[in-house]
Amino acid sequence: MTLIARRLAGHLARGLVMILVVATITFFIVNNIPGDPMAAQYEKLIEGGMSPNAAAQAVKVLYGFQPDGTLWQQYLDYVSGLFRLDLGVSVTRPGTPVLDVLTEAAKWTVLPVLAGTLLSFLVGIILGVFAAIRRTGKLGDALAISGSLLHGIPQYVLAMLLVVIFATLIPILPADGSVDILYEPGFNAGYLGSLAEHAVLPVLTYALSAYGGWILAMKSSVVTVLGDDFILAAELRGVKRSIVFRYIARNAILPLFTMLALSLGLLLGGAVFIEKIFNYPGLGWLLIGSVQDRDYALMSGAFLLITVATILANIVADLFYTVIDPRVRSGEEAS
Amino acid sequence: MKRLAAVVTLLGLATATAACSGGSTNTSGSGGGGGGGLFTTIDVTRPGLEATAPANPYHPKGNSFVGYNAMRIGWVKNHLTDPNQALPGIAASWEIAPDNSSITLKLQPNAKWSDGKPVTAEDVKMSIGIAYTQGSTAFSITPGAAGAAADVTVVDPQTLKITQDMDNPSPTFARNVLDTNVLPAHVWGSVLPADFWDKLKTARGDGADAEKAREEISALGEKVLAFAPPKDVSAGPFVLERVNPSEALLVKNKNFFNAANVAPAQVKFLNYTGNEQIWNYLTQGKLDQAGFTATPSDVMNRIKQAPGNEIIKGYSPVAVSMAFNQSKKPYDNVHVRRGLAYLIDRDQVTKVASPEGGTPALTTSGIHQKAAQAWIPETVPQLEPYKADVAKAEAEFEKAGLSKKDGKWTLADGSAWKVSMHAPSGFTDWLSAQENIKSQLIAAGVDAEVVTTADYPLYLQELADGKYDVGFWLMALGPAPYDIFQRLYGASNGWTNVGNKVTHNAPGKNGNWMSGPEEIEVGGEKINPGELTAKLNTVGAEEAKPIMAQLAKAANQDLPVIQLWDYVNTQFVNNSRFTGWPKDDELLRGGGKVLMSGVWIQQGLIKAKQ
Repeated sequence: MTLIARRLAGHLARGLVMILVVATITFFIVNNIPGDPMAAQYEKLIEGGMSPNAAAQAVKVLYGFQPDGTLWQQYLDYVSGLFRLDLGVSVTRPGTPVLDVLTEAAKWTVLPVLAGTLLSFLVGIILGVFAAIRRTGKLGDALAISGSLLHGIPQYVLAMLLVVIFATLIPILPADGSVDILYEPGFNAGYLGSLAEHAVLPVLTYALSAYGGWILAMKSSVVTVLGDDFILAAELRGVKRSIVFRYIARNAILPLFTMLALSLGLLLGGAVFIEKIFNYPGLGWLLIGSVQDRDYALMSGAFLLITVATILANIVADLFYTVIDPRVRSGEEAS
Repeated sequence: MKRLAAVVTLLGLATATAACSGGSTNTSGSGGGGGGGLFTTIDVTRPGLEATAPANPYHPKGNSFVGYNAMRIGWVKNHLTDPNQALPGIAASWEIAPDNSSITLKLQPNAKWSDGKPVTAEDVKMSIGIAYTQGSTAFSITPGAAGAAADVTVVDPQTLKITQDMDNPSPTFARNVLDTNVLPAHVWGSVLPADFWDKLKTARGDGADAEKAREEISALGEKVLAFAPPKDVSAGPFVLERVNPSEALLVKNKNFFNAANVAPAQVKFLNYTGNEQIWNYLTQGKLDQAGFTATPSDVMNRIKQAPGNEIIKGYSPVAVSMAFNQSKKPYDNVHVRRGLAYLIDRDQVTKVASPEGGTPALTTSGIHQKAAQAWIPETVPQLEPYKADVAKAEAEFEKAGLSKKDGKWTLADGSAWKVSMHAPSGFTDWLSAQENIKSQLIAAGVDAEVVTTADYPLYLQELADGKYDVGFWLMALGPAPYDIFQRLYGASNGWTNVGNKVTHNAPGKNGNWMSGPEEIEVGGEKINPGELTAKLNTVGAEEAKPIMAQLAKAANQDLPVIQLWDYVNTQFVNNSRFTGWPKDDELLRGGGKVLMSGVWIQQGLIKAKQ
């Protein structure tokens, strides 16, 4: 068995245990969230004009098909379902498996988060190198300040600022939604354009909020590498400036790849605020709705998905590091 | 540096291209629209569109928009005193027997489904069968339920007769029949088993077989909730074209019986998860119509400024009250409740909390003031108005044994008294009202606080568990008299009414959180308000009036709640693209989950602006 295969097997085993532990904790927390969703539904129906008797019956029918038995029995059913990828059925979407609901929502989170993170990563690391090399100049200062500033602004504030600027003051972008329904879905310019148009502000928010972290991390990493002997040796040997630049970038970027993998996992859970503000129908948006509805199966499923994403991101980061850093590989082999 | 510049330029270009391409507009004909134009609205009855949900009116997130692509037998009105009044739906007309024992429906002669098949009495009968699985009021299998149907007979392809079980009749029987969804039998027929009507007959009896039949019918409810027709087949003015998680598109149903008078060619429903998004849509002038949404005054001003926007106001049979848990001291003492009623200036509270969406309650009567004037006009002047009066409040507090020390009111035993008011987070009007009441009480020497609960489900659970001293409570939910008073003298105050058998639960049991007394003395006579309320479920209008008068007096004297403001049905419309909005109170609110704008459109009231 190769080193990577051994590491992967170990990580997967540990990951599975972690997922089970988190699923257990999540299940019991979620199922003990206080609140009476039936009463809330009843109140909504009678406020909407339904007679009390009819509303009471409608609520009884809707919630009458929820899992019963003790919490312990429900937990055992839930865990055995997990092994079959059966996360239960959403109470607010009768007949629809939770997995289907999550899959539908996940695509609206994964693509913008991925786009925003990769964009910020690319721009952040490139500008981070410049910020480090020109750290004594005005450009370096400006880049570092921009990084600190954007790093310090909470995501939701940034999102609201972008809405004010691009949807209210200069109304060139839609403030909410995912795509205009008037366009026939498919590979046509109108539909794709509308998708992109609606994604601009969420993606920009993800990108800007993460950019500060990347530029500061890259700058710090480059500054460390700049002091290494091999850079001094290369300069003394008269190696071309562009080649020295490549040496610096390749060595400085290693820890940032780990951070990139981890941030992709974490951003899935962090999409709650952004999706709420932009009314963007992803996982965060779904999670808010499921908490409001006390849709326990959906809540557990959404939390589980975020957990799995984070654990997988950790595994990918670790394996990736093994692949790209010969020092880690040789260290493992030696041991 | 050049490479960096190139990357940044490319990103900028990509963003600009995306921003400029495929720009959506809210004008007629955009992206494939045409004809009478695009009508944009929201479904205020449920936040959150669900792209994968079926066109099923019983599915909680179903893409059936009642009034648009879902039809009912009739469209019940918001009439002050006659809950059986309705506009034609799939039934063109109906006849109610003088003794209310039956209703005979005549269907629209030209009604067709969107796939071209005619709408027949068999469709309506099957729809009634479906309604039984969901336990509607008229189509209930609960033994002894008031106002349940006894028989459904297809007289001819255009006529149906539904008879009421006269063992326990309800004055709202016709309303409950008319307010039933109509579904195509050729699509939904497979949901009901072939022996459904035999099973129903058995379920109406007694014994083990009847119980088993009732269980089987109830079990069908899950199947109905989850049923997903392969495509939307609508008898309404529109049919569902497609849905994404942000918007739903409906197109005109050319087979609709009144298609010639339906103005919009398309309807777009926008998604929202909270009131803030609705406010944004309204301030941007995006919506042609939106139903009632609680709106703070600063937002309301911005909404009014958007070009074309207009606010229509009308009667809404809902009021909000400050409700007491009478198992907590000192709220068990009527003089304390009366004292508080005299201290709180309701005009001021309403002005702060709901200036556009409410009118200060004239007094506490348990009934909306407009409905009270219509039902019990002679009684209204006899009620104590509880106008803000500090002297009267102090006299009441003294009667309760409270005392004032160093400008602060204390309990009879000398301990501190703090009025602790609770409201759920996000209920901005309730929270503003409580903050205002708190200021008023503190100014009068009564210590007070406002406690926010995380959300509505938690609020309702803690309220029912008796954890709060004082909470806000919706009341006077008409138009039927029983529906109005059961908010004060129903389960929340100890009375449960199952199959018209009324029982009283002890304070703290079975949802009795108000914990009021079982009997109250009104005008020297002891009454049981819960039993009187239950009577309203079965008696006609004339018999109901004296009962309502007694209950209004009971509520006024005993004050289980302080009625703060009566809601005003505030609808938002935009005149830029469509006109003809009805201003009639009776047409502003309908049955459960009904979107009245769809009803206005199908009745031909709404016209495209030329």
